[in-house]
Formats: sequence, structure tokens, C-alpha cells
Amino acid sequence: MDRNERIGENTVNREDLIVKICGSAGDGSISATEILNRAVASMGYHIMNFDSFPAEIRGFGKSCGHTRISKNPVRTPGDKADCLVALDDGHSISELKNLKSNGIIIYDSLPPSYRDEDTAVAGYIEPGMIGYGVPLRELSTEATRSAKSRNLVSLGVIATLFNFDPDAFVRAISKRFSGKKESVRTAVLEAFRLGQIFTSEKISKRDAIDFERKAYPREGEYIIISGNESAAQGCLDAGIRLYAGYPITPATKIMEILAKKLPIQEGVVVQTEDEISAVGHVLGAGFSGTRSATATSGPGLCLMSECINLGVMAEIPMVIIDCQRGGPSTGLPTKTEQSDLRIALYGASGDSPRPVIAPTTVAECHSLAMAAFEISDAYQTPVILLLDFFLSNRIEDIVPDPEGSARWGRFPDSIAKPGESPYKRYRITPSGVSPRSMPGTPELLFTATGLEHTENGRPNYDAANHKTMTDKRYAKLDALRNAWSLPEPIGDAGELDVGVISWGSSAGSAIEAMEILRERGFRVGGWIPRLLMPLHEDALEAFAARCRCLVVTEMNHSGQFADVIERVVHRPILRIAKVYSEPMPSDDIVRIVLGELS
Amino acid sequence: MMHEHYVIVGNGVTANAAADVLRERDPNARITMISDEFHLFYHRFRLPAFLLGEASESSLCVRPVSYYRERNIRLRLGQEVVRVELDRNLLYLKHMEKVGYTRLLLALGGKPHIPEVHYTYRHRFSTFKTLDDARLLRSRLGSIRSIVIAGGDLVSMRFATSLAKTGRNVMMMLASEAFWPLDLTETIREECIRSLTAKGVDVIDSDRIVGIDSADEQNFEVRTAAGLILPCQYVGAFFGWRPQVDFLVRSGLDIDRGILVDEHLRTNFDSVFAAGDCAQVYNPGIRNYWVSIGWPNAERLGRVAGENMAGGALEAGQAPQSALEVEGIQACTSWWREHGSE
Ligand SMILES: Cc1cc2nc3c(=O)[nH]c(=O)nc-3n(C[C@H](O)[C@H](O)[C@H](O)COP(=O)(O)OP(=O)(O)OC[C@H]3O[C@@H](n4cnc5c(N)ncnc54)[C@H](O)[C@@H]3O)c2cc1C
Repeated sequence: MDRNERIGENTVNREDLIVKICGSAGDGSISATEILNRAVASMGYHIMNFDSFPAEIRGFGKSCGHTRISKNPVRTPGDKADCLVALDDGHSISELKNLKSNGIIIYDSLPPSYRDEDTAVAGYIEPGMIGYGVPLRELSTEATRSAKSRNLVSLGVIATLFNFDPDAFVRAISKRFSGKKESVRTAVLEAFRLGQIFTSEKISKRDAIDFERKAYPREGEYIIISGNESAAQGCLDAGIRLYAGYPITPATKIMEILAKKLPIQEGVVVQTEDEISAVGHVLGAGFSGTRSATATSGPGLCLMSECINLGVMAEIPMVIIDCQRGGPSTGLPTKTEQSDLRIALYGASGDSPRPVIAPTTVAECHSLAMAAFEISDAYQTPVILLLDFFLSNRIEDIVPDPEGSARWGRFPDSIAKPGESPYKRYRITPSGVSPRSMPGTPELLFTATGLEHTENGRPNYDAANHKTMTDKRYAKLDALRNAWSLPEPIGDAGELDVGVISWGSSAGSAIEAMEILRERGFRVGGWIPRLLMPLHEDALEAFAARCRCLVVTEMNHSGQFADVIERVVHRPILRIAKVYSEPMPSDDIVRIVLGELS
Repeated sequence: MMHEHYVIVGNGVTANAAADVLRERDPNARITMISDEFHLFYHRFRLPAFLLGEASESSLCVRPVSYYRERNIRLRLGQEVVRVELDRNLLYLKHMEKVGYTRLLLALGGKPHIPEVHYTYRHRFSTFKTLDDARLLRSRLGSIRSIVIAGGDLVSMRFATSLAKTGRNVMMMLASEAFWPLDLTETIREECIRSLTAKGVDVIDSDRIVGIDSADEQNFEVRTAAGLILPCQYVGAFFGWRPQVDFLVRSGLDIDRGILVDEHLRTNFDSVFAAGDCAQVYNPGIRNYWVSIGWPNAERLGRVAGENMAGGALEAGQAPQSALEVEGIQACTSWWREHGSE
């Protein structure tokens, strides 16, 4: 396909499809989407699934599964859908704005009664769109004696219409219902089959999407998980023994997963009374040498800031996962935003250096969560891992990381041994990292205080000592910067028309936009650091020097990362900083950059 | 203030002409057009040219979607009206939605007619009325060597001669009833045969189809009363059109061979009008009904209907009396304009 077409919203890409399955909570749109993901992933397609949630999390609202399927690795969930499956007309009507203007609507052609004017989704099919009426309810009832399997009938339609291997769906459905009675399994498979039969016999295909029933064999293992699941697994693989948290969207899932899995590895999950208590638990565990974590969102991070500061001052390892959401304050719990960067980097009284890491993919949520623990231990410091609603909830097919935390090593040297006398908990070293002791170890007194202190941990307010100790704490960032591998620029080498800088979950959109711009004939490169504090400033300067136009893309209003970059590069930056509430559309980046270049 | 909601069923020339007038007369009214075809309004008379590759698909389109958006006309395409309750001002759409109106225009056109004698094998006939029909045939044309055209209405004449020009073997079985609503007089008939034969069409006269067999979906054998067996890959039904009024049966509308309307194009329901190929229009001059056929006529009637729905009192007038050339013959139907493949 000519990628230029991608600039517009109407793209016909034979093996790249965005499907939305929309219904009321309870209509099974999310479970149908899960089955779809599994089925197509088993055929070797890549997926990115990002469901949309109602603003308020309560019972019977809209529930909409959104998944992108492609033969190429998927970097974004895409903007507008190619196909909307309407399990509920009312909710689906409100989703039409998210359908391409040449999109497909699969709707129930035989609901139990006539609907009033403008309440049927099929009535909104605009010229250029394609409607396929399927008696979803009738076929569902025929198969399972209930209208509840409309979602499975619709999967039969999707499989047939777009020419996916039906066996892959049969396997995915069987797996999903494996715990159910044989009669239930047979019935749900029948619902799928009736959808298939109806489509092949009664629908004359008018769209151009065709997956040619192809399969792309995968090499090795893959798993389908969300960012939160991946981060939680990272915590488990890093060997945490304590998780303390207070529920908050979109971080709660991490606690839910760990509540199930941590006890298996003899760990404990504590649901605390608030975020201050949660981070206090983590601080206490870190003090006593136990790996532990908490996860929260913006409002919780605000509350935690004082304890994080204490962790910085007392040099106590702790990992805080911030799953950002729309803010400020309680803000938009179910919308995505990257607006906690500033508080993560600087939100503290005093000079309070702390590493901040931002994964860009679901796979990185795992590997960088483990890295966060290693860094935290190695540099005896709080570490903030920045996810966001989109990254937390999006689901991808990923290759599990077999190396685990081996890449990092444990810095055993920083653990003090008795006999090193006189033991100085905060001894000045070139790296800023002092020998750490475990509380209770004879001769190795671990003094932990929020007051400024001397090398041996005694409170001291002398100006020269304060400078020395502040330098020491910042020296750890320099040491970390040197230990962390340099962020490799991506894209074209040499002089660039456009250099795109991005971070976190919106990096995928930036990369997709870069690909489009490159195919339009521009020389384009990208710089996407995962370690945001400390930043590799030399590498950034070198990259910026190659770029005619320097762009920073992020999902916040004030250009929080752009501010950071600008202070380093001292030149004008094209800021694409917007609060979309939804994942950043790559088309938007392309449009703005093209406008700047013209 | 309550605005009118004008609903027009149809998206052909009649419907569009009426919508234009309604928007001019009533800038604030809601106007909705409903058509069971998915395509934007297109030139039907160019379908033969499209079939033969002489016209592109995009050149068929009369107006872009922006035309309707700019005029705030809601287009409901691919939506079929399956039932009406005219005393409650309600239409029922196939996808199970009710649509209300204050005034309704039925501009339903005609549908290809297949006489009852051919009932048992009617599914083996193909028809040629819509863009979808033309697309389908165009995609199959490469594998078609022989064609049987049954009937012989106005469309079929050019259809047959055009296909004959491409070197295909075109056999035409003339049926007198195909000319309805026109009379196929003996003179016209003879002239037709002569002219078609001269243009390479194999006219089979005084015989009739008694069966169509098919070995597969692509190959047919047409059997005739005289014992002929005509192998072909396409059997076209060109027996003329009948107004498309099946779903109006038992609606309370007066219907004969079309929807009966007075000289103002109003039906026996005050708020319901009908025009174009689907209507039988009363002519007070001859105290009888006439059936509209042909593009220009439909367009004129559409405008009259629009005026009257918006409160006017225009008369549809008589069926125009000038003549039409059918294969070089003057047929008594001036209201069919010969459109080339412009
Ligand atoms: C191949 C061909 C060639 C032709 N050549 C010529 C020519 O050369 N010169 C000439 O003058 N005329 C020609 N005609 C005839 C001319 O096109 C028609 O007379 C004219 O189009 C009639 O217009 P109309 O608006 O009344 O109906 P139509 O154009 O038939 O439109 C009727 C519309 O109503 C819709 N409709 C019907 N029932 C329903 C329902 N229940 N629910 C929703 N929608 C419905 C249909 O989908 C259609 O869109 C030709 C016709 C054809 C098919």
C-alpha cells in the first residue's frame, strides 16, 4: 500500500485491520476481543488491543474492545476503526465518530422489535460506509438459547468476512470456555459457526479487507498480556517480597495480579489505608533490605512525594510505579495522559534526585520494571517507573524476556561487610554509592534520617557538609547515566530533515509517524530515551545537531519533556504536546510536521 | 416552531429533483432521502457505457456526498423501506427502525419485470438496472461469449447492439409485452428486427423461452418452444419495468400498475406523493392515467412533486407527445430521451 494514503483516515490496507466490538457491559465485547486477539495472534499476526472504558467505572456502561491486527509489528492501536461490531446500538452510535468514513458496521439486523428513529446504528451508515446486517440475536439464540452469544456469532462473521482461519478461532473459543461444561462449549462453538455460515451464504462482501487466510508462523514463544500484567510480572521476576498499595485506576490491576501471585513466592500484598501508608510500607521494606514496590497514579504520587524524598535523603531503595492518567487532581481516571513527568522528575522539596524510567511498550514494562529494582538497589534510591493508562491497559503479543534481570547484576559490592570499620553508611565515593548495611547487622549501623547528615549518618546542618552530601546524591545519577547504555537513535543516519523525540507510551505513535514521513521522502530519525532522569544529554545534543527540525511529541499540555529537551539543546523545538485523552494519533504528528516543513 | 420532515424514498433522478426543490422552498425543513442502493445518485443511462468500459465508475456519479451535506439533506443509503403505516406517518426500515415524516414522496422507480411464465427458472435470468448489476456483469464479461436477451425493452436495444459490436454472439428473443407501457406495433417490430439484425444481433422472432438449464453458475442453455437450445453465459431479462411497489400492498395506497396519483402527484393519502417511474399519473385531459418512463420525465415529475409537497399546486401535465427513436424507429414515447454514453 502506498503509505501516503495513511495520512487520510481512509486507508485500505489488506492486512492491517482495526476492529471495535462495542456493547453494554455484559454483552461480551471484551471477551470477544480477547478471543479475537488470541485467534489472530496464533496465526502469527501482531495485535495491539486497547479497550475504551466509560468515564465512570460502574456497571452497565459502554464497553468497547478495540484491537488492531497486522502482519507487521503494531506500534499504535490506530486512530479510527475499519470495522465496528455493534452489539448494542445505542453505545455503538456513540462510537461512530471513531469509525473511518469508509468503515464497516456489523449490526443486528433482527432485533426483537422496531426501534425508534435514530436509535438504530444501521440508520447512521453514511455514504461510503458499508453495513452488514446479521441476525446476531437470532443466530445466538439458535445456538445457545440465549442472546448472550451474539459476540461469538459476530466473531464468526469477522473470521469469514476478513478471511481468517476459522480453526484458530475455534481453538481460542474452546480455550476460553475450557472450564465450562461440554454442552456449553458445543453451544458457543455453534454460535461461532452460525456466524460463519450466515456470512458465507448471505453476505455479499463489499469491502476490500482480506487476510487471505494466511498464517505467518512465529518463531518461539509469545504471550498476550497488558502493560500492567507485564509490569507486575517484572516485579515478580525481580523477586519482590512486599507490595503495598492503595487502589487507584489505572494502577489497581497490578495489585490485583500480585495479590494472586505474590503469595506463591512467599511475598505479601498489603492494601493500605492510603498512598502515604503504601509508600511508607515500601520505604520500610527497602530500609530492611527487602525488595518491594507500590503502584499508583498521579493523585497518589502527589501524596507519596514526601516519603519519596525521605527515600532520596536516607538513600533507601524503593520502586514506585506511576500509571499516569488524565489530571490534575482526580482528573480523568480512565483517560490516558503523560502529564506526571514533571512531578516524577522534580516533584519534591529540596534537590531530590531520583531515577525516572519510562517504558514504551508492553514488553518493556517487564524488562524496565526489573531494571528499576536493580537500579534502586544498586544506587540505593527511589526509582519511578512511568506507565500511563494506555500502556497499562493495552495488550500486545510479546516475546517473553528470558534473560530476566541478569542484564543488570546486583552490585553486591555496595553491601557492606562487618569489619569495615569505621563503617560509614553515607561514605563519600566517586559513584556516590556508599556501602549499604542491613539494619541490625552488628557494627554496621544503618542510620536513616530525613535530616541532612554526615557520612556516618549523624544530623548535620553545616553548609559545606550539605553541599558535599547533595553532590554525593547527584553523583549517583551520573554513575547511573554512565552505566546505562546510550539511547540509540533510530531511523536515518546523518543529516535529518526531521528528528522526532518522544518518550513512554506515545513513542509508538512517533515511530509510526516517522515511518510515514520517511516514505514521503524525508530523512527522519528518532531519539527515544527510556531513562528520563538522568538524561543522556551528550547523546541528545549529538542527535539534535543532526536535525533541521526537532520535534518533541508527548501527551500533555505544557510540553513537559520538551521543556527538559529545550534546556539541553538551546534551540527552538516543534512541540507536539496535546492532551488527547486517547492514544496519540500518528497522523496528527505527520500533519503537524508537514505543516512545519512546508 | 415544528419543522416539516420531508422523507423521500428513492435516490434516483425523481428523488433528487424533488429534494432540490424542497430545499429551495423550505430552507429549515428536515429532508431525509432513503434508498436501498448503497451508491450515491448515478446516471442509470450510462450503465451500458460503463459495462463496456466506455465510462468510468466515477463518471456515473451525479453529485458528491458534499452536495447533500452542504444542503443539510440526510442521505440514508443501503436502507430499505419494507413497510409503511401511512395513517401514522411511519416508515419501517428493513434494519428494524421506524422513521416518521410529515410529508412523504415515493420515488421508487421500477424494477425489472420477469413475466410469470418464466417463474420456475426466474433465478437464472440476470437483470440490468443498477450499478451493482452492471459491476457484476462487467466483472464477468471476459468469460462471456454468447448472450441471450429475452424481452426487448428500450434498454435492451442499445445493450444488445453494443455487446454485438464487441464481437460477442448476441441472440435476442423479442417478446411483445416487453415494451410496456408502450405498444410494440407490427411496424415498429419489423423495423426493430431489421435494424438489430443489421447491427449483428441475431433476432429470434416468434418463439419463446420455455426453460433455462444451467450446468454451473456460468453456463446456461436456453430452451425455446420451437425446440431451439441456445448455449450462453448470460441470460438477460429485459421485459421492461414494473413500478417497485410490492411493499406498499395493503398499505391503503391506491395502486394499479403503479402508485395512482392525481394531477398534483398526490396519492389518496394527503401527505403522501409519488412520482417518477413508480407512479401512474392522472391526466384530467384524457381522464386516464399515464405511466412515467425515462429520465427527463422523471426529473420533471420530481420537481413538480417537490413544489407540491412544499405547498404548491403544480400540475404534472400530460405525457409529452414527441417521439423517440428506438433503433431508428419513432416510438410513441417522447418521454424517453436517448442518452448516449456522454
Ligand atoms: C440501463 C438503463 C438505461 C437507461 N437508459 C435511459 C435512456 O437512455 N434515456 C432515458 O430517458 N431513460 C433511460 N433509462 C430510464 C431512466 O433511468 C429511469 O426512467 C429513471 O432513472 C427513473 O428514475 P426514478 O427516480 O423514478 O427511479 P429510479 O432511478 O429507479 O430510482 C428509484 C430509487 O428508489 C429506490 N427504492 C425503491 N424501492 C425502495 C425501497 N423499498 N426502499 C428504499 N429505496 C427504494 C431504488 O433503490 C432507487 O434508488 C435507463 C434505465 C436503465 C436501467
